[in-house]
Amino acid sequence: MIKLLNKIRRTGRVAEPAPPRPPLSCPKAERLAGSVQLRHVDAGSCNGCEVEIGSVFGPVYDAERYGARLVASPRHADAVLVTGPVTRNLAEPLRRTVAALPEPRIVVAVGDCAINCGEFKDAYGVVGAVEDVVPVDVKVPGCPPTPEAIVTALRGLTGR
Amino acid sequence: MPAHPGGDRHGVAGVDWPVNLIEWGLAGATGVAVLGALVALLTPERARSVVAGIAVAGVGGAGLAAGVAAIAGEEFTAHLPELLPLFGVTLTLDPLGGLFMAVAGAVCLVAAGYGVSYAGGGHGNRSRSTQATLPLFTLTLVLVPAAGSVSTLLVLWELMALTSLVLVFTDHRARPQVTSAGLWYAVMTHLGFVAILAGLVVFAAAAGGDTFETLRTAQLSPGLATVVFAAALIGFGSKAGLVPLHVWLPRAHPEAPSQVSAMLSAAMVNLGVYGVIRVGFDLLGAGQRGWWLVVLILGAASALYGILHAAMASDLKRLLAYSTVENMGLVFLAVGVAGWFHTLGEERLAALALAAGLLHVVNHAGFKTVLFLAAGSAVRATGSRDLDALGGLSRRMPVTTALFAVGALGAMALPPGNGFISEWLLLQSLVHPPAGAGVTTALVLPVAVAVVALTAGLAVATFVKALGVGFFARARSRAPEQAVESPPLLLATTGVAAAACVALAVAPAALGPALSRATGATLGVPTDVVSGALTVRLAGIASTISPLLILAALVAAVVVAALLVQVVARRPARRREAPLWDCGAGPPTPRMQYTATSFAEPLQRVFDDVLAPETAVDTHLASPYLLARMRYQRRLPDRIEHWLYRPVLAVTAAAGRAARALANGSVHRYLAYGFFGTIGLLVALVVIP
Repeated sequence: MIKLLNKIRRTGRVAEPAPPRPPLSCPKAERLAGSVQLRHVDAGSCNGCEVEIGSVFGPVYDAERYGARLVASPRHADAVLVTGPVTRNLAEPLRRTVAALPEPRIVVAVGDCAINCGEFKDAYGVVGAVEDVVPVDVKVPGCPPTPEAIVTALRGLTGR
Repeated sequence: MPAHPGGDRHGVAGVDWPVNLIEWGLAGATGVAVLGALVALLTPERARSVVAGIAVAGVGGAGLAAGVAAIAGEEFTAHLPELLPLFGVTLTLDPLGGLFMAVAGAVCLVAAGYGVSYAGGGHGNRSRSTQATLPLFTLTLVLVPAAGSVSTLLVLWELMALTSLVLVFTDHRARPQVTSAGLWYAVMTHLGFVAILAGLVVFAAAAGGDTFETLRTAQLSPGLATVVFAAALIGFGSKAGLVPLHVWLPRAHPEAPSQVSAMLSAAMVNLGVYGVIRVGFDLLGAGQRGWWLVVLILGAASALYGILHAAMASDLKRLLAYSTVENMGLVFLAVGVAGWFHTLGEERLAALALAAGLLHVVNHAGFKTVLFLAAGSAVRATGSRDLDALGGLSRRMPVTTALFAVGALGAMALPPGNGFISEWLLLQSLVHPPAGAGVTTALVLPVAVAVVALTAGLAVATFVKALGVGFFARARSRAPEQAVESPPLLLATTGVAAAACVALAVAPAALGPALSRATGATLGVPTDVVSGALTVRLAGIASTISPLLILAALVAAVVVAALLVQVVARRPARRREAPLWDCGAGPPTPRMQYTATSFAEPLQRVFDDVLAPETAVDTHLASPYLLARMRYQRRLPDRIEHWLYRPVLAVTAAAGRAARALANGSVHRYLAYGFFGTIGLLVALVVIP
């Protein structure tokens, strides 16, 4: 009976041991004390980064065990994950989303496009990089960035 | 009335009145009404509404006084042979008639002051016909319960129909739908009149006399009695908006000026109830059990159907009119239950049910007056009855909103409102079935309880919608944004009616003696149905209720909650002013609010099979793949009107068209019709022995 209970308890816990804890990547994150709620804004991405973010919160990488969690409204969030170059349609909503965050507002630019427009530089519908629209605190380069890179950046916010 | 009525007077045992209040009241009412109508015809337009208002108030006040005197025990009978050929006019007033007269008088008294200010502001018509008709209509409302013979009742009933018809037609130049509503009303009310006429004339012929006293003693065969009762139920029921004869009510009541709407919906419909009680209980002596089952079923159907349509309505006054159908349904349900118990020999329960019905008549008159007058203020300020275009009035018109809320609370039948107490009484009479009752009773009563409960629930949804969508939230169009509060007279008169509602809600036991006398006069067994001062005690049932304590408990709970919120809010907290989160799309507009239609949509889905909404989608394609424009329309027509009346109207219209062939304009042909018609008649007279 005890054996069976132990088996049930162990089932599903397939995560590897966590890599060493990275230092805080942003001074604002100190106030969050290990728990970061995230709102994701797709500002004009090709959805490559979204696929990677999806696997970040999937069972393999499981960022939630480090205290990072996706939420459905900026009112519930501590930070926003912004992907893609900022298109004209999303520039104003992005500004409002960041304004709706409670203090300290942390903005994470995920992917090359978010950092410098990447492939879409000088495209007719693009306003600019995320930094041109709202202040950015953390950058995750890559096209698309690997889930490990995103997890490392998020652990830099949670500090765990 | 002439100064020397040829009737007898009685003082009450133990009370010696110096003058007969009823006699003076009725004579005064008649004099004031006729004089007021004449003066209103002669005065210039500016003063006309004041003259009519004073006359209506005088008639209403006199009616109220006479009604109260009748309830207090004063009796009055007068026979005036010279006023009407053949039979003369007979007037008599007992406590039952007095109750209905007092209610009608009180409603008219309040509506009078409202009407002066309403018409004075250019709303409501100041035309000669309207203003001169108002006092006469009031007079008929007051006098109908005093009719003491068939011919008097019929004449007054028809006068009431005609004068109210003139008032319904008031705004026919401003809005084309008024004419259609008036036509519906004219036809329906006259069909009802024909039914009453036929029933009562047959009754009088069988009884060998015209006065109610003769009718009471008549021995009718059960079949004939059933015919008389059915005719009376059809005729009086159509006036009270009993399903399926209600179709005119939600059309005609909203189209009249608001104070007339109140008089129609709070006073005139009651007289339908009065007629059924008078003929069924008093003149026919309660008759057979099956009648009351029919009354009960029709009442239950009206209550459900009325409130369901009220819940769907997006026109504020139409909603109130459908709510009238509902409330009259509840009253008829109570009357049906009373008759049922009466024929079972359960006098105490019958008296309780009848008292519940009568109390609901009084309560409904109170809150419906408030609702129609407050709604009239809103319509006056915004020019719109469409709930989907209103909203935000609570800031612009706080007093009107508060008054409407008092009325809505009464209509919701929730504890601090006045409608609650009468529905509670009705439920009490339903949930205490008599011992040893038959299978039908055991089946009917629980179903009736379910109907009352469902009706109450839907009424809450309806009036939350009316108040929440119509008065709270943000303005949905420009007109309510610029609305200004009504002038003091409108607010004061509505306030008087609201105060009456509050009084009825807090101290319903004050009406106990009146109800006991009225039910006693009807059922022939005087019982103290409702007694007690602050706590209402019911005769024969171990149930009590104390509306004042309920109110005190509610007020205490609200105060405690408000204090707690204050205490919590005092705690220092860091706050940041931030704009509303709008998903990044821009600030929300009033168009994003709940509308009356969207609020009612879930209910509409639930009752889809009953309501059967019509949906029409028109699509215009720019190319096989692209849509140029699309139109979506949903209507909720009255299904009974659709299924029952449309075919009849179609057949009538077809018959009329076919009959045109008979009249082709040839004089020779018309002469021939006359000739052959006469010959045919003579032959028939010879052949038939």
